[in-house]
Amino acid sequence: MKSMSLYVDLDTWLTRMHPFTKLCYIATAIAASLIGGKLWVFGVFIGISLGMLVSGKIIKKVFPLIAFSFTILITIFLIHGLFNHENVTLLFAAGPLRFYREGMLYALRISCNVLNMLLAFAVFVLTTRPAELVEDLEQIGFSPKIGYVISSVFQIVPQMSGTMNTILDAQRSRGMETEGSLLTRAKSFLPLISPVVMSSLTNTRERAIALEIRGFEAGEKKTYLRDSSMKTVDRALCVCMVVLLAAAVAVRVML
Amino acid sequence: MKNVFKTKLSTASLVLIPACIGINYLGKLFASVLKLPLWLDSIGTCIGGALGGPVIGGICGAANNLIYGFTTGDSITLVYALTSLGIGIAVGIMARLGRMEKLGGALLTAVVAGLVAVCISTPLNVLFWGGTTGNVWGDALFAATQAGGMPVALGSLLDEVVVDVPDKIITILVVFAILKGLPKKLTALYDVNDSIESLD
Repeated sequence: MKSMSLYVDLDTWLTRMHPFTKLCYIATAIAASLIGGKLWVFGVFIGISLGMLVSGKIIKKVFPLIAFSFTILITIFLIHGLFNHENVTLLFAAGPLRFYREGMLYALRISCNVLNMLLAFAVFVLTTRPAELVEDLEQIGFSPKIGYVISSVFQIVPQMSGTMNTILDAQRSRGMETEGSLLTRAKSFLPLISPVVMSSLTNTRERAIALEIRGFEAGEKKTYLRDSSMKTVDRALCVCMVVLLAAAVAVRVML
Repeated sequence: MKNVFKTKLSTASLVLIPACIGINYLGKLFASVLKLPLWLDSIGTCIGGALGGPVIGGICGAANNLIYGFTTGDSITLVYALTSLGIGIAVGIMARLGRMEKLGGALLTAVVAGLVAVCISTPLNVLFWGGTTGNVWGDALFAATQAGGMPVALGSLLDEVVVDVPDKIITILVVFAILKGLPKKLTALYDVNDSIESLD
């Protein structure tokens, strides 16, 4: 079964860092660059994220993530470069297509924002074990029930995609067409999805009973196997980032 | 009058949430395996809303996008948590008003959910993507409106309408078919208006 989390099991300073510090970095990177509003601010944060990813030895895992949103970014460049309303200055022409400066700049801004978000999240996602995050959330007072909901998603999804492959094979072996014209493909959607959905919904009943038997509803305070309080470095970094954010707001308001 | 927002926060409802998130994921997966030009990624949210009511529906929707955003690195889905939240609540309310029992009501629910999705997604699209949605047909229309000189917001609204409303209609029809086939012993778990009868 393939796990849906992108966590890379390496022992680097990034994986040892407390999840909340990384969350704090995401918030700072996105908010500060949006508040700053200048292109170079985006550049700085993209640079920092890339630096962290390289030193965390996970830069290779980032490329598929970026490639995914690349097609959308290209569409944005095409549409705004060609048709944006503020288009006045011609940048270059490729055959009959005329790209304008204003639209391209607008598209560049959007792409920088998206790239910045993707990289900041990549720093978090690739270095944090989901179970660890859930446990940390519970330790600062999140309801364990919510914790259960989050961690059981990680068990259910691989299980369901396993069932999905079984059903896909089963229906195909009965002669159902899953390739061909749009109508054929659309018609096969319901026979494919309904067995999985039905079985997983019926399973919820058994799961609920199983949980209740094991004292899920009991309000006792739970104890933890692993104690993970924030280290001094983590605290210092968090304070730094809050200061940075405040500075960004101050600069924006003053100027 | 029955309270529309009345929710049973029992173990059964809590277990429903991860199942619905899984179903959302499957819908998206099947849509991409079959290369359908729709998203179909809110089937689970709609089932959650229809079974558990608006609160559970909303939690399903928001949790779906938040969990994927924070674990698969797809930070773009994160901002659409608001849209999913809206869809879950809308379907939940319509279901509690008894609209999911007949086909006509289900279609009405689909249109309402689609419009809610459009209203929430359009500003997000303009803000984050400059108006595009990432769907081939919708973006072709958006390009056409931009070439024709229409404002970005209107173009983006149309872009969303042509994608979201048909998407939600198909989603709700699938949900309707599935709900009709669920055994009573399961749906009874989520019935808020039940009462225990004593035999003595």
